Formats: sequence, C-alpha cells, structure tokens
Amino acid sequence: MEEKIMAILNDICGADEGELEPDTDLFEEGILDSFGVITLFVEIEKQLGIKLEPTELTRDEIKSPALIIRQVLQRA
Amino acid sequence: MTPFNGLLFFYIMALLLVPAVVLGLTNRPLKHYGFIFTVIMILFVFDTWEKRVTLIAFYVLETALVLLYSQIRKKSRSRPVLWLFIALSVAPLAVAKLGALVPRLNFIHLLGISYMTFRAVQVLIEMYDGLIIEVGLMEFSYFLLFFPSISSGPIDRFRRFRADLEEVPGREKYIELLRVGIWKLMWGALFNFVISSLIYTDWISKLPESGFLATISYMYGYTFFLFFNFAGYSLMAIGTSCILGIRTPENFNMPFLSRDMKDFWSRWHISLSTWMRDYVYTRFAAAALKGEWYKDRRTASYIGYIITMMTMGLWHGLSLRYIVYGAYHGILMCVNDILDTRWKGFKKLKRGEFSSLLLILITFHLFSFGLLIFSGRLF
Repeated sequence: MEEKIMAILNDICGADEGELEPDTDLFEEGILDSFGVITLFVEIEKQLGIKLEPTELTRDEIKSPALIIRQVLQRA
Repeated sequence: MTPFNGLLFFYIMALLLVPAVVLGLTNRPLKHYGFIFTVIMILFVFDTWEKRVTLIAFYVLETALVLLYSQIRKKSRSRPVLWLFIALSVAPLAVAKLGALVPRLNFIHLLGISYMTFRAVQVLIEMYDGLIIEVGLMEFSYFLLFFPSISSGPIDRFRRFRADLEEVPGREKYIELLRVGIWKLMWGALFNFVISSLIYTDWISKLPESGFLATISYMYGYTFFLFFNFAGYSLMAIGTSCILGIRTPENFNMPFLSRDMKDFWSRWHISLSTWMRDYVYTRFAAAALKGEWYKDRRTASYIGYIITMMTMGLWHGLSLRYIVYGAYHGILMCVNDILDTRWKGFKKLKRGEFSSLLLILITFHLFSFGLLIFSGRLF
C-alpha cells in the first residue's frame, strides 16, 4: 500500500522513485499545490478505493509524504 | 451603530467583554456568555426593527435549512439535494446583490449577509461530505451569528469553531488569549483609525478625479488604504474573538511580500481565498478529474481558477468592475500556474535574493492594478 501511495505521489509531483524524502515539506518546497492535493485525493480514491474529502485534512496533516501515507493507512 | 466604529461602540463592547474576561480568568466555560454577548451586540448594531426582522428571517431560514439537511443527509447522500439546499441558502444573498440592479428586488438590506451565507453554505457542504454529522441549535446559531466577524469576516469554519466552544481554556491559556486579543485590537485600531484614515484624508481624497498620474497615485494609495482598513477590521475582529475564547483565523499575512499571485492569495483575505479554494475550486477540479472531462488534467485547474475567481468577483457585487476584477485574477492565476508547471526557472527565481525582490515588486503591481479595477475608478 505504501509503495502504491508513493507511486501516485511521485506521478503527481513529477518526481522519480526515491527522489521525495519522507519528511520533505511538499507545500513549502512548492512541490504540491491545491490542484496537486485534489489530484492526489482523486487518484487515491480511484486506485485504492479510499475516499478523502477535500476539507477532511488540513495542509499540516498532509504536508509530507510520510504524513500522507499515515493518513491514508489510517483510513485503509 | 456600526461594528468597530465610534467611541460608543467600543465603550459598550468593552463593558460587555468584562464578564467574558472574568469567566476566562476563573476557569469557566465562555460559550454561553459568548452567545449572550453576540445577541446583545447584535441588538445594538441592528438598531431598527426592520433590520432585526430581516436578520431573524434570514437566521430562521438558514438554521431551518441546516437542521433539515442534517436529517436528510443521515438517510441519503444526494448531490441534487445538496445543490437545492445551497441554492435556497444563497437565495437571500443573491436577491440582495440583484437588488442593486433590479429595483423590485431591492428589499433585502442585511449587514453581514455575505459572511453569514458563507458560514451556512460551508456547514451544508461539510454535512454532505460526512465531516459534520450533527449540529446543535445553540452552537449553530452562535456560529452563524458570531458577532465579532459578522460584518467583515474573517470567515471561520464550523468544526474549528466548535472545537473552541468545547474547550475551557483555563486561566493560563486564557491570559495568553486575552493578551493576544488586546494586542490585536490595538493593532487593528492603529491600522484602521490612524493609518488608513491618514491615507484616505491626506492622500486619496486630495487626488484629482481623472488624469493618468493621479490614477497611478490613486492605485498605490487605494492599495495601502484598503489593506490597512480591511486588515485593521480583521485584527479587531480576531482580537475580540480571542477575548471570547474563539481563535478566529488570520486574514492577512504580509501580502506585500508575495512573490507571485498564488502566494498573494495565500496572504490576502486568506479566509475568503481558502473558502473559495476548498468549496469552489477543489470541488470543480475533483469533479472534472473524476469524470475525465479534459484530455490534459491541468485544464481542470485553469477552468477551476476562472470559475473560482469569477465567483469571488460576483460575490463582491454584480457591477462590471467586480466581474472584470474576478476575470483578471482568474487569468493571472492561470498564467501563474503555467509558469509554475512549465518553466523550471520560475521556482529558482522565487528563491533568488535579487530575483525574488523583483518578483515581489511585479506581484505588488499586479494586485494593485487589480484593486484599481476593484475600486471602480477606471469604469
């Protein structure tokens, strides 16, 4: 599951495998924006069947790959 | 009486805040008195029976819609039903805005109608999302009518507001809230009554009504005037909220340091731009992505920006200047997005010491020109 989430995130961020560090601040670094977040949520729902509502999580709760993985796993 | 204006207003508000301070300092819950404070302040500000009846009618409609929708939502999740409830909730605001153009519809005059509508619609949408299941009559009424931010925002969120209501801060935390509250009230007053007033009386009001150079000067003056005026109001609203134990979100974060337009909208009227982002832009983008409406998925973002910014423009009013203002910002956001996604050097420019200064200057002029359109001086 974790690998799948990272693959989705890499695809959205245009990053190669292993390029994104688990604790990278995706918003601070300008890697993820509002459109990136909603694309991520849509892809997670399509590929993993886990639904995240647009205002369910704050930016602080999904600001790094590690936090995104944790949030998705909690809902799996 | 106008909110945050005139000595009498501040005198009454200060007196009515004393019990809140006593409750806060003695570890007692603030929510019940906070609601009483809101009702009394509303009675002072809505000072004619016409205003009060309009407010009561609006309140009854919005509350009935939210309570009814919460019951319907427990049984089914239907998008057309949500749209119907949103339409009914927005109807008074739409009529109030149309009233400026159509004399027959010019019968709803209600201070704070825009901000209260935002609050109600947000609750409906988050009920649909399943994030808000149940709302109590008292907590929703308090949220809808919350006095400090009723006239000019910031726009709070229900789940965040409710968390503050449930919390009894305790003496130490409350002392900090009180300190922040008084500090923000002071800064807000300085911004609003001193700086923005000076800019208006000594700068803007002395400019000739036409002429190229006068218009350029007006553009700068109006930008600073609006910032100090609006940020001043927001600070006073946030400060008053703190004294009532409510951490109303910030509305401005040094917008003059924005490096591009996306950065600007994360610093200027933040509570409005994040509301628009969360309840208009992302909703459209998600629907477009799920339905695969466009070959290039980024197209969903561009159209989303145009729709969002046009909605924001129309929310200010139905005049041509607001429509153009919305379209202008929609286009700027699209250009910003294209630069972000297709030009790798743009990110480097934003981080460079000299280049970032240049971008700050360019962004400042872009949003100042937008405010010049907004001001109505051009057309």
